[in-house]
Amino acid sequence: METFYNLAERFIWSGIAAAGFGILFNVPSRSLFSAGLLGAFAGLIKFPMIMSGVNIILASLAAATFVGFISVPLAHRVHTPPFVFSIPAIIPMIPGYFAYKMILGLFNLTVASSLSENADLMFSVFNNGLKMIFILFSISIGVSLPMLISRRQTVKNLSIKKLKKIIQ
Amino acid sequence: MQKEISKIERAAGLLLKISAMLMIAGANTTRIFLSLYRFSAALGYKAHALITHRAIIMTITDELNNESLTKVKRIPPHGVNFRIISGLSRASWAALNEKWSVDQVEAEVTRLRNLPHYPRILILISVSLAGSGFCNIFGGDWLNMLMAFIATFMGLFVRQEAVKMKFNQYICVFLGSFSASIVASFSVMYDIGLKPELSLATSVLFLVPGVPLINSFTDTIDGNLINGIVRFAHGTMIVLAIALGLFSAMMLFQLRTV
Repeated sequence: METFYNLAERFIWSGIAAAGFGILFNVPSRSLFSAGLLGAFAGLIKFPMIMSGVNIILASLAAATFVGFISVPLAHRVHTPPFVFSIPAIIPMIPGYFAYKMILGLFNLTVASSLSENADLMFSVFNNGLKMIFILFSISIGVSLPMLISRRQTVKNLSIKKLKKIIQ
Repeated sequence: MQKEISKIERAAGLLLKISAMLMIAGANTTRIFLSLYRFSAALGYKAHALITHRAIIMTITDELNNESLTKVKRIPPHGVNFRIISGLSRASWAALNEKWSVDQVEAEVTRLRNLPHYPRILILISVSLAGSGFCNIFGGDWLNMLMAFIATFMGLFVRQEAVKMKFNQYICVFLGSFSASIVASFSVMYDIGLKPELSLATSVLFLVPGVPLINSFTDTIDGNLINGIVRFAHGTMIVLAIALGLFSAMMLFQLRTV
């Protein structure tokens, strides 16, 4: 029950975060709800994976792939390029936290005095920096996966059925 | 005596304007090329372009009359606006299928350009809610979320004001990050909530350059390496500005690490 409540809370707040960024990016109001919902479901995929011990990079890849595939049929419905709602949906997954942990580590390196402190900071810089780059990479691969496997540049005329056919 | 603008010159100007609008609004390079090709095919020209972060060079050719024209356009600093991307994408299909004239395309571009943003107070509140959402996701309690809300609100307000005063874009980010983390530092100082340092960590997340960083990777995957690298450098500069703001506030309050 505790975990269910926890997940529901994260589901809702991921959706709110996605919709909030949608408003900041001036997403048309007809796509705003889809963006929020997509973000919420992305959170629902990512957090259980992390809680059950999956690496955050893999969890982000799975959630972003989900967003990428669902945004194709959604794009047909509202006649909008898919990334208009897929980008707000994945913004909550952008590793901003790791990014500035890395930069803060770099700043702290300039004032570090002892060797052990230096080593700790170096570890933190590399660890957080690499995490940031790999998460970013997996998110952008995941989101553009439908395009990459269908070898097309536009989702117009692209349906899930056709995608299946292409994969086979 | 003023010369009349020729047809090809008008089309080139319009296509440049469309590409520049897409670049400013935060479209990736492949998307810009797609829209450009659709619009130029609708107007009856062949277009080739070199698209970079701050300038576009474009040659359009009229193969029937054997005419061609090259133009260059500078691009001002970017501001993400998905309404324009969405609108231009729809318009490009309509133009291709219904064979729009130059006048029709120009009218649509002008209409899209004048479309409003969401009201400022709505942007402020929803982004602040997103900030407290991040705080919840990382495990903060209600008091932490409240502090993150106030800090994000202040930070975004200051950043918007700085943008209005036409400061350098990275300075705008620095000022936003600085003011957000000053507000959040109070929660660490007075130990508000369960994990006060979490409010500090999430108060600056609204500034994270998600669109440049994602576009940087999609551009790189698509083979537009230069744009990918440029966007990554731009994103890194923003992250640096955020961290600098956070670091300054922490120095001011004499907090060691987040």
